[in-house]
Amino acid sequence: MSLAGEFKRRLDVLFHRDRFQRELEEEMRLHKDLRRQQQLAAGLSDEAARRAANRRFGNATLLREKSSTAWGWDGLTSFSQDAAYGLRSMWRTPAITIVALISLALGIGANTAIFSFLDAVMLRSLPVKEPQQLVKLGVEDWDGITDSFACTELYSYPFYRQLQSKNEVFSDTAAIMSLLNTVHGFVDDHQQSEKLQVQTISGTYFQMLGVGAQVGRVLNQADDSGDGEHPVVVLSDGFWKRRFGADRGILNHTVRLGPVQYKIVGVAAPEFFGTAVGQAPDMWAPLSMGQLIPPNWVHPKENFSESLYILGRLKPGVTMQQAEANINVLFPQIIRSFPDARLTQANLDHLAHAHVQLQSMERGMADLRRNESKPLKILMTIVALVLLIACANIANLLLARSTARARELAVRQALGARRSRIIRQLLTESLILALTGGALGIAFAAMAKRVLLRMISDGPDVMPLDVSLNLRLLAFTFAITVCTALLFGTLPALRATRMQLTDSLKSNRGPSFAARTPLAKCLVVTQVALSLVLMVGACLFLRTLVNLANVNPGFNKENVLRLNIDSDITGYKDDDPRLKAIFHEIEDRVSTLPGVQAASFSSFVFREGTWNSGIRAQGMPVDHKVNVQHNIVGNGFFNVMGIPLVAGRNFGPQDTKTSQPVAIISEKMARKLFPPGSPIGRTYLIGDEDGAEPPLQLQVIGVVKDVLAGNLKKPAGYIDYMPYTQRSWGFGDFEVRYTGDFSAISNSVQQTIHAVDPRLPISDVKTLEQQVARAYSGEAMIAELSAFFALVAVFLACIGLYGLMSYLVGRRTGEIGIRMALGADRARVGWQVMREISLLVVLGIVIGLPVTFLGMRSFQAMLFGLKGTDPFSLSAATALLLAAGLAAGYLPARRAANVNPMVALRDE
Amino acid sequence: MAALIRRKPEPGRDEIPPGTLYLLVLKTLATRGRLHGYEIAESIQSCSEDVLQIEEGSLYPALQRMLLKGWVTAEWGVTAGNRRARYYTLTRDGRKQLGIEVQQFERVMGAITRILQTA
Repeated sequence: MSLAGEFKRRLDVLFHRDRFQRELEEEMRLHKDLRRQQQLAAGLSDEAARRAANRRFGNATLLREKSSTAWGWDGLTSFSQDAAYGLRSMWRTPAITIVALISLALGIGANTAIFSFLDAVMLRSLPVKEPQQLVKLGVEDWDGITDSFACTELYSYPFYRQLQSKNEVFSDTAAIMSLLNTVHGFVDDHQQSEKLQVQTISGTYFQMLGVGAQVGRVLNQADDSGDGEHPVVVLSDGFWKRRFGADRGILNHTVRLGPVQYKIVGVAAPEFFGTAVGQAPDMWAPLSMGQLIPPNWVHPKENFSESLYILGRLKPGVTMQQAEANINVLFPQIIRSFPDARLTQANLDHLAHAHVQLQSMERGMADLRRNESKPLKILMTIVALVLLIACANIANLLLARSTARARELAVRQALGARRSRIIRQLLTESLILALTGGALGIAFAAMAKRVLLRMISDGPDVMPLDVSLNLRLLAFTFAITVCTALLFGTLPALRATRMQLTDSLKSNRGPSFAARTPLAKCLVVTQVALSLVLMVGACLFLRTLVNLANVNPGFNKENVLRLNIDSDITGYKDDDPRLKAIFHEIEDRVSTLPGVQAASFSSFVFREGTWNSGIRAQGMPVDHKVNVQHNIVGNGFFNVMGIPLVAGRNFGPQDTKTSQPVAIISEKMARKLFPPGSPIGRTYLIGDEDGAEPPLQLQVIGVVKDVLAGNLKKPAGYIDYMPYTQRSWGFGDFEVRYTGDFSAISNSVQQTIHAVDPRLPISDVKTLEQQVARAYSGEAMIAELSAFFALVAVFLACIGLYGLMSYLVGRRTGEIGIRMALGADRARVGWQVMREISLLVVLGIVIGLPVTFLGMRSFQAMLFGLKGTDPFSLSAATALLLAAGLAAGYLPARRAANVNPMVALRDE
Repeated sequence: MAALIRRKPEPGRDEIPPGTLYLLVLKTLATRGRLHGYEIAESIQSCSEDVLQIEEGSLYPALQRMLLKGWVTAEWGVTAGNRRARYYTLTRDGRKQLGIEVQQFERVMGAITRILQTA
């Protein structure tokens, strides 16, 4: 009992310090009074009695101090005294404090913001039961649907079922559709459709993850049986709160997806967002319903409709290697056991070499990690450098201030203050400064995070990524804050307390300046060097951005409006003539709008995924490695996109459902995949002759120029185009070439579409240019942020330079005065100051250049169209830095030149 | 003019041996019950027939420490002269501590006595 009791009493003292002090005081007073009365009674005089009482009592001040030491809060008390003193001294030098706080807030805030993204994307574990046991089959993170033989990344539903029952290494197995279904569905019996993100999953999914429901239940095995017999969904916490206001009666509601009404059976646990970071499904539905949920991707009965990820939870004691070995024994067995397995020689060869790799799922699906980890690492490096520069800057400011306080510190040391005590006090002041900066930084980070989130979001909606403040983040911020305090506080503190006492007491100017400047100059040179690194980086990334923006995609991206229409909502099948009639009518009516030149549907326009397969051209050997991207388009597509026809003819009214299937191919495809000579009139096949569907024979009627389909950094691939009159496809993309005002055209186009069919949901309305720019949003983010931080860095370095030079000039006023009195002219004096500044800047640049070369080598992959040693960037950065440095030095130099010798000498 | 003042210690008074202040305070409270600081000081002096002299003020840090350790409790009361004073009482822990302190003291004293006797 005693220890806890003692601690409680100590805390009591801490919180009621004043009362304890008062009571002690009163007690001691009583004692002395009683003693005095006793002495008086013994016959002493008044004065003698008082003196005797005091003497017998002892040194009251010392005793009071001993008592408070007994209370055990000495360290804390002196800390709070130091802190209060630190606050006062910050208040007394507002200019230094403000500059320091702004640079700290920027530095710490930027670090916190970037780290919160690093944490969310790369570090945080999934909020599920023992995530470290989770693995995924396949490492490439493809998403899509393929019918290729024995794919080792995506799997069919029958394969998943076989693996589930046969494997010996997983305690639980689950499957999850690789694509998120974006459905325009209806809540209850509402007439207005809503965009819903539906994730289809196996019935084992929640159980395997150990995720429960906060309302109702999660999906189970029974839900994922039969074929379309269990129309149930589980909502995510986010959707439940956003759409239903966390209504507890949620289980009475339904949603309609495509033709089927689904019962809401539960809401998943609040922290669970799914298994892919950066994706947040609104609801989960069983895979058994997958065929009925638009766009009807899942075919649970087909052995070779491969579209699923398979996840497993390792049994206790099973390693990843053991699991991988077991899976790779099962993989060919299961594939061969399918009765419709096409066991041709080529496929058997493929199967013999196929290897399924496992990856850890501890932190969820890696898609976002793959794309964003490099930019995030670069940004983290940049902001860390900015913080370092800020530290150097503050260290310099504190050095200057401690010089001003030299006498105070010297007096205190002379009076017997221990050096460690003074260092502790100076460090406490630095800590107070850093903590205030850190608090401001957290506020700054909150704003910065919103901007960043917007920047990395790849679409109209902000990416659902949890970057809010958490414990790990707070710990990180606190750690860097303390580190910065130590970094910028230690040197000045050591410096300030190591002095020749007599010197500083004698001179009214503090310690001799010569002893101080090398350190200050080093700091400034470091700042310049680091700024150079950031400047060069910013130039390189900006030039990369410009290069990407100038890439010619092969089509004319200007003056094109593009939008998405969800035609699934009509409920028509893809080959329904009524659907095609709607498409035709929309194309026709939009084309005749004023300001519109052409309009066309297409299945893809730019960077929206692909549908691809191998082909066999008449008269050419089959190459299994060749992949042709197919695009199904309206007759006006090439006009809208401005893709020139090189040979042959465009699609026309003569190409109908019943006429010979035709195609237009890209130049590169004509050159490489067809025999020499004109390809017009030749035929080719799409799909394997032993494939699931009979191959489609197409006749080439035209050749168009190559275009890029989504990646600006790679050369164009093989592309062919087919008219939608001959192929079935539920469209997504609609493009309009226009002149005039975008928003006016956008309004009239949307009105026209709704006039044809008011149900059609329209989304993602933007220009084709914006769509293309999305391809380099990562590079744009790096370029913009690195430019911003480089400017901050240069600004800080300039403040450092300016501060140092002003100080130097101030200290040398006397010397300058003498020199002027002896006949030195003003220009010469100013020039001398400028020369000193140039020397510092040039030194910083000379040191910074090799560092830059080394640093940029690791970022080469992020550059496009230039090398890390790009001479233009190097010289531009150097020139800018020199100019900024000289500008910073101009004011002090002018002040030196304007020194009035009479005044200066009188001061001396 | 400078004066050299040499202060002689008052005759017949000895500083208390270091480390025994707790013992003395605990014992005093154990025999006399509820006392305030001045009474404790007076009691120690009179019980030792004025041989033991304590720097009276040093009682107070010691009492603070004993309060924190829970050996004594304190409450405010009124003296005979009608002044507010803090009265200290021994707790059960304090009584236990007294036993420990007495034992320790006797062990040390016993050892010293034995050395003196063999000499």
